[in-house]
Amino acid sequence: MINKVLELLKEEKACQRISLPPGIKAKTSGFSLWYGSTKALKDINIEIKENKVTAIIGPSGCGKSTLLRCFNRMNDTIVSVRTEGNIWLDGYDIYDDVTDCVDIRRKVGMVFQKPNPFPFSIANNIYYGCQVNDMDVEKDEVVERCLKQAALWEEVKDRLSENALSLSGGQQQRLCIARALAIEPEVILMDEPCSALDPIATAKIEDLIHELKKDYTVVIVTHNMQQAARVSDYTAYMYLGELIEFGKTKQIFEKPREENTEKYITGRFG
Amino acid sequence: MSGRKLIALWLFVVSVVVALMGFWFMATRASMDYWVMAGSLILISITCYLSGVHHYLTTKNRHGRYIILYGSVVLMVAGLSIYIPDVLDLRPWEIYTRIPSDFFFSFFMLIIGILSSYVSFRPFHNFTKEGAQSGAYYIIHLSIIFTLFPLFLIMFNIITRGMGGITWEFLTEDIVSMGEKGGVYPAILGTLAMISLTAIIVLPLGVGTAIYLAEYARKGLAVRVIRTAVNILQGTPSIVHGLFGYAFFVLILFNGQKCLLAGALTLAILTLPIVTRSAEEALNAVPGELRDASLALGATKWQTIKKVVIPPSMPGILTGTVLGIGRAAGETAPIMFTAVYFSGTGTPSGLLRPIMALPYHLLSLYRLVGYRDVEPQAWATALLLLIIVLGINLSAIIVREKYRQRF
Repeated sequence: MINKVLELLKEEKACQRISLPPGIKAKTSGFSLWYGSTKALKDINIEIKENKVTAIIGPSGCGKSTLLRCFNRMNDTIVSVRTEGNIWLDGYDIYDDVTDCVDIRRKVGMVFQKPNPFPFSIANNIYYGCQVNDMDVEKDEVVERCLKQAALWEEVKDRLSENALSLSGGQQQRLCIARALAIEPEVILMDEPCSALDPIATAKIEDLIHELKKDYTVVIVTHNMQQAARVSDYTAYMYLGELIEFGKTKQIFEKPREENTEKYITGRFG
Repeated sequence: MSGRKLIALWLFVVSVVVALMGFWFMATRASMDYWVMAGSLILISITCYLSGVHHYLTTKNRHGRYIILYGSVVLMVAGLSIYIPDVLDLRPWEIYTRIPSDFFFSFFMLIIGILSSYVSFRPFHNFTKEGAQSGAYYIIHLSIIFTLFPLFLIMFNIITRGMGGITWEFLTEDIVSMGEKGGVYPAILGTLAMISLTAIIVLPLGVGTAIYLAEYARKGLAVRVIRTAVNILQGTPSIVHGLFGYAFFVLILFNGQKCLLAGALTLAILTLPIVTRSAEEALNAVPGELRDASLALGATKWQTIKKVVIPPSMPGILTGTVLGIGRAAGETAPIMFTAVYFSGTGTPSGLLRPIMALPYHLLSLYRLVGYRDVEPQAWATALLLLIIVLGINLSAIIVREKYRQRF
């Protein structure tokens, strides 16, 4: 009897696994999402390539941010959300019942639309992720590494103990990127990271994304098509919750297969 | 200054004087002749006519017609008031009171005076929209004065009368012969002990409830029930809290023994809604983006609450607690059945021993006024209580201002 129960438990504990083809970091298959009774994502199938930048573009309300937030299950905080289908990350199912959101989020970092540093010192902002995950690291080393990676070290090295809110908007956003790097994620999600920034700060972040893709897989949501063209290797175009077209950025912008994509890219609507 | 402005200024001055006179008559209940009221209202009305007609004659537009209408209304009030009987007897309607006509006269003077001073801003600004705006500002400022006036009156009264009674002996000596002699030392200590114990009890309970409501509870029946319960608790009269404390804590928990702990528990229930609400507000003021940021870094919900949400809301939580404690310090009803005995109790000697507290001491002194010479002591006690409560509130303000966090 007890053995049977244990067996059942073991069975339930086992996470579904598939093997992804080489070069693919994450993949969704038949993924749909509802907010209450509204279907916000309709049967999405997309592959995120490792160490590449994937941009998701589309008009407002097309579900691009929703899709992005599915990769680290940030939609879990919304009560009425229901999902169907799978998202695979390194062959593990993100939306499996036994998957722990906390583990997922450690692997998949996120940068938000509005810079949202904690009201702590700059150093503590970066160390926070290590702290909550009980990582065995030296604080000073992590702070220096992350700030250098985020190209912010030179600007703030003399005032690490100052409140992060004293930084400018662009610096705050780079701090948020540095903060996301501190927990050593494998994928970084960026939700319109430049929409609150001026062109100079935007250029800095874009340079940074180019640097980041050497070590990380980056998925970026943007409503700025020039930006998508500049920073990404692959582009996904979404419209009304559906993935209309996905392919190499060059192909999407130069020879889109779908009429809808072409219309959007050439600015005839959206 | 033009004639228009002069007339407006005159209207303003006359109305303010009339309003003050009305207030004075109401406050002193001095008997007043009909003609005092009618005369001042007629003066106001004539000034209104003058202002309207002058505006028409100088500009040939009819923007001033409303002030003429207003003058007529004032005149009507003055005229019709003569039909108010000397004493309005409400007994036929089973309301056992008689209102003298003086009351109506002074009431009309007050109301018409305030209204007219408000109206006078229109002719002053040539009947433009600017006039309407200055009038509105005037009313807003006036309401501030009306709000602060009673406060200053009470403070002034208590301070001037209580000042003389506060001496070193009064603060440090025992209560002798029911407060007629000696000081209030045991009552001060008792109040301080009780409110500190209350704070210790209420802080975890209130903050815990607030965290549940703000962070964990999903919007549903449970939250609505809890929030309604908290609101009802806040609206419950303090005497009900006192009787509950007696029936439950004293009789059941402490074997009929009034004690410090029973009083503190009762006060904790009394202050719980204040603490819960302010803590909930403080927690809700922390932007959701910070929670998202923390969750996205792999923090659990509790880590997020502990490290990101609570620290910046701590000043707000503490302010709410201190304000609640300030309220508790001045309450008499909840402690009179649960914690305090008559004057001779002495300094607090244990959690399960009765104590003496300042508000209750004040009440027992008040009962003795007329039988014994305790009035100076009563005023001094009132002042002392006021100082303690104001001190508590002041410290709350200082905490809030010092650690205020901006996002």
